Amino acid sequence: MLIEQLINGLTLGSIYAIVALGFTLVFGVLGIINMAHGEIFMFGAFIGVMITSTLNAPLWVAFAGAIIITAIMGYMLERFALRPLRHKQGVSHLAPLISTIGVSILLENLSHHLFGAGNHPFRASFAEISFQIGSITVYLVQIVIFVISIVLMITLSFWLGKTKAGKALRATAENLETASLLGVDTKRTITMTVIIASAMGGIAGILVGMAFNSVTPQMGLSMGLKGLAIIILGGMGSVRGAMAGGLILGLAETFIVVYGDSGYRDAIAFLAIIIILLIRPQGLFGQKIST
Amino acid sequence: MKGLFKKLVGFTALSSLLVLSACGGTGEQAGSDSEGGNGEVVKADVGVVSFITGSGAAYGEAITGGLKLAQEEINAKGEVEINLIFEDSAGKQDQALTAAQKLINSDNVTAIIGPTLSTEMNVVGPEADLSGVPIIGTSTTAEGIPQIGDYVFRNSIPEALAIPASMEKAVEKYDAKKVALMYGNDDVFTKSGFDTMKKTAEEMGLEILTIETFQKGQSDYNAQLTKIKNYNPDLILASALYNEGAVIMDQARKMGIDVPFVGGNGFNSPEVIKIAGDSSNGLIVATPWYGEKDDPKVQEFVKKFEDEHGKTPDQFAAQAYDALYILANALKNAGEADRDKVRAALAETKDFEGILGNFSFDEEGDVLMDPTVLVIEDGAFKVFE
Amino acid sequence: MFAELINPYYLQVASFMLINIILGISVYITLSTGQLSLANAGFMGIGAYTSALLTIHFDLPIILGIICGALLAAICGILIGIPTLRLQGVYLAIVTLGFGEVIRVVFVNWESLTNGSVGISGIPHIGREMLKSFQGFGFNPSAIGLQNNQFIFLSIFLLLLAITVFIIWFFRRQHFSRVGRAFAAIKLDEKAAESMGINITYYKVLAFAQGALVAGFAGAMYAHILAYISPADFAYHRAVEILIFVVFGGSEVIWGPVFGAFFLTLMPEVLRFISEYRYMIYGLIIIIMMAVRPQGLIDINLLNWFKNKRETRRQKHGAGNQKDM
Repeated sequence: MLIEQLINGLTLGSIYAIVALGFTLVFGVLGIINMAHGEIFMFGAFIGVMITSTLNAPLWVAFAGAIIITAIMGYMLERFALRPLRHKQGVSHLAPLISTIGVSILLENLSHHLFGAGNHPFRASFAEISFQIGSITVYLVQIVIFVISIVLMITLSFWLGKTKAGKALRATAENLETASLLGVDTKRTITMTVIIASAMGGIAGILVGMAFNSVTPQMGLSMGLKGLAIIILGGMGSVRGAMAGGLILGLAETFIVVYGDSGYRDAIAFLAIIIILLIRPQGLFGQKIST
Repeated sequence: MKGLFKKLVGFTALSSLLVLSACGGTGEQAGSDSEGGNGEVVKADVGVVSFITGSGAAYGEAITGGLKLAQEEINAKGEVEINLIFEDSAGKQDQALTAAQKLINSDNVTAIIGPTLSTEMNVVGPEADLSGVPIIGTSTTAEGIPQIGDYVFRNSIPEALAIPASMEKAVEKYDAKKVALMYGNDDVFTKSGFDTMKKTAEEMGLEILTIETFQKGQSDYNAQLTKIKNYNPDLILASALYNEGAVIMDQARKMGIDVPFVGGNGFNSPEVIKIAGDSSNGLIVATPWYGEKDDPKVQEFVKKFEDEHGKTPDQFAAQAYDALYILANALKNAGEADRDKVRAALAETKDFEGILGNFSFDEEGDVLMDPTVLVIEDGAFKVFE
Repeated sequence: MFAELINPYYLQVASFMLINIILGISVYITLSTGQLSLANAGFMGIGAYTSALLTIHFDLPIILGIICGALLAAICGILIGIPTLRLQGVYLAIVTLGFGEVIRVVFVNWESLTNGSVGISGIPHIGREMLKSFQGFGFNPSAIGLQNNQFIFLSIFLLLLAITVFIIWFFRRQHFSRVGRAFAAIKLDEKAAESMGINITYYKVLAFAQGALVAGFAGAMYAHILAYISPADFAYHRAVEILIFVVFGGSEVIWGPVFGAFFLTLMPEVLRFISEYRYMIYGLIIIIMMAVRPQGLIDINLLNWFKNKRETRRQKHGAGNQKDM
């Protein structure tokens, strides 16, 4: 049972990590907590459901569709909810937070109208493939999720650290004005960041749909809040932190069910936020707090 | 800048006008517009408070669909003419209360159908009772609802009746001794269903191996299910709404748990089969509503509902449908749209033959009827023997 | 004539409006030092549960229950306020958000006390209790031509109105006092304020505790008006709803949240057909307000403009405004 629970925890943790990567990317560059990220994730999952069940298209089309739509949503988010706040005088630093809360409410209720309140099953034959190792059943999806999350993390670290676009991004994160003086197209960089982060949310959405066979309009909020907890745990803006935080939370949530009371499962994330911010506000992997 | 201020001023003036006109409307409400001539058509305004928007919108949709269907048929018959006034509660007590206040005091309705959730009924029921307006819950299954007052009724089969029925049959058939329980602990509906399950299991002398909980919006139940699997129960008692319940069954079957599930009221819906497919086989529920019943009335309702909404009606639609018929019957017997007379007529409802079966109210306004126990086999609900 | 004008439905809406106004003010107070609190739904829950449990189990008079509820919320406010002092802006917002959720989870899981998600019913109803005590003095509502339930809702409304007016008066006074100036200085620039000798810790915790006190009070009133509470009433969505009152109405002056709560509670009631889209509209309002008018509809400039124009517009506008409240 322990190994099975470990697999459960790693699967959940990997999904949390992918969601958190999207959060951390936006925070790292813009210093903004994107409260709408969970809802974009949920839309990604719904697009996947629509494409596979309504259009009967193969899985890769679903992935492509979800990535494209969530990327567009990311662009809209940046264009209409974040950009207008940027060079404005006298706007408090809380404004973008509140603005993205607005986007999240809008998207959650929009999805009620578009998709209905019910649960949508994710029918993909890919999700049915499994191996039997002893008494343990391992699904291919679980392995894929784990691999994707690792690949995304490594790619992201590499991209940020080694490529020109990544360097531009980090320069923008460091100081917007200086970066722009040095010839970085900051507007484009910021837009790109939000788009990439949103597309990663879309990928996570489809993976959750496949792994758990469940897509509902409410999943955005709970996943969004978890993602938030993870980046605080791991350190805001840290890619490795998001990964580690995701896995820690996934495992912790699984093992409180095993050894404790499953009723407090949801509270772990928030207790973690409170404790970590009081003891080590920069998070496990963070360097310093910039406010 | 000036232009904006002007607009703002106009706006504020407009909103204050709205308030004034709203207050002015009060004076008219004393005169009742719902009087019908004796012996002729009884005309009545009936208010509906329902969960139309938000996370439970699926229930509101089913309920309003069932009500509208019944309304058409009843009005077509010509004995009673019912005008339905729908109000949204969004599943929140305060909104349900204001909606009910509006119906009682502004629209001056004869009776109210709804609200959807037992939590809402806990708030709306006492108010309707105090104002002397008969109120019928069509989906409120928690304990103590009709006991709120004389004016509070329900035709939804309470958990205390449904859950023991299904559990007894399942335990008998599978000779179950050890059970595992699972429920959503942040939802009233599933929590009170769980309380009944636990009580019944204890009374039946079943060994409870473990009790696991889950929360709204959760989509991963693997941790809880793995733990349950390890205990090797004979039966799993799951108090879940069908949305979550179907996913739980799907994940359980994938994991290799193949014991039957016994579900509460919220678990009972054709949607379970749609969501979980073959994984839903082995779900046992007690229900007042069985859509496959060989009864022309039932089949006609199913067909009409499917034509209009494109899906099979669930118990929420069926219970709402019957509730309006019960009310129409009471209106006919009362002879006029008088709140007290309708209440008295409602209380006397006995052996009413609806699509749910033979129905009576007991002295408290609670349900007297035998639930049918169903099981999902080969992707369809069948009577459980 | 008088009796016919009193429709419990309008009084009910007005009462919820007043509670929302109080909640809006509770966020405004904390925000006036530049701290955004998303825990006010949680504080509201603490107030509601404390008062409900005390009045049910210990037969405490409602007034005492409400006072205890508000005080306990304030104590929790201090407890969460002190350690979070070194957190700023966004971090504070998230800690308070987490705190609110933890409170809700505790309400759900502490079943022996809170009855879990089933909630607590049978809480003494403030209006009905008042009616009872009035009847105890030999007063009958029919003496002034009122039915019992008209009297109940009228008394709740008047009570809340009096309290709301007092709260607004108090915090307006505070705004123009030493405390209010310190709050404003901290909001503008914390470091500068500190160097001018303002005790930042004291004032920030004070603002936090005041916000929690007011929210806890509103929660206790809510419990005694609905007579039923459950953990779902105090979840994330409630916190966001309260925030919207302030964002929409304005966070610079106390009239902002008052107007925001007033307008946004009234809107779905007057325009029932849009109630289905209420939350979508809320979302849009937030986005648009942040982009176009981040300080909210009512700000200091607008108030000053009103003051200048009041002389000429008194007959038309002033009168209309009075009726609003």
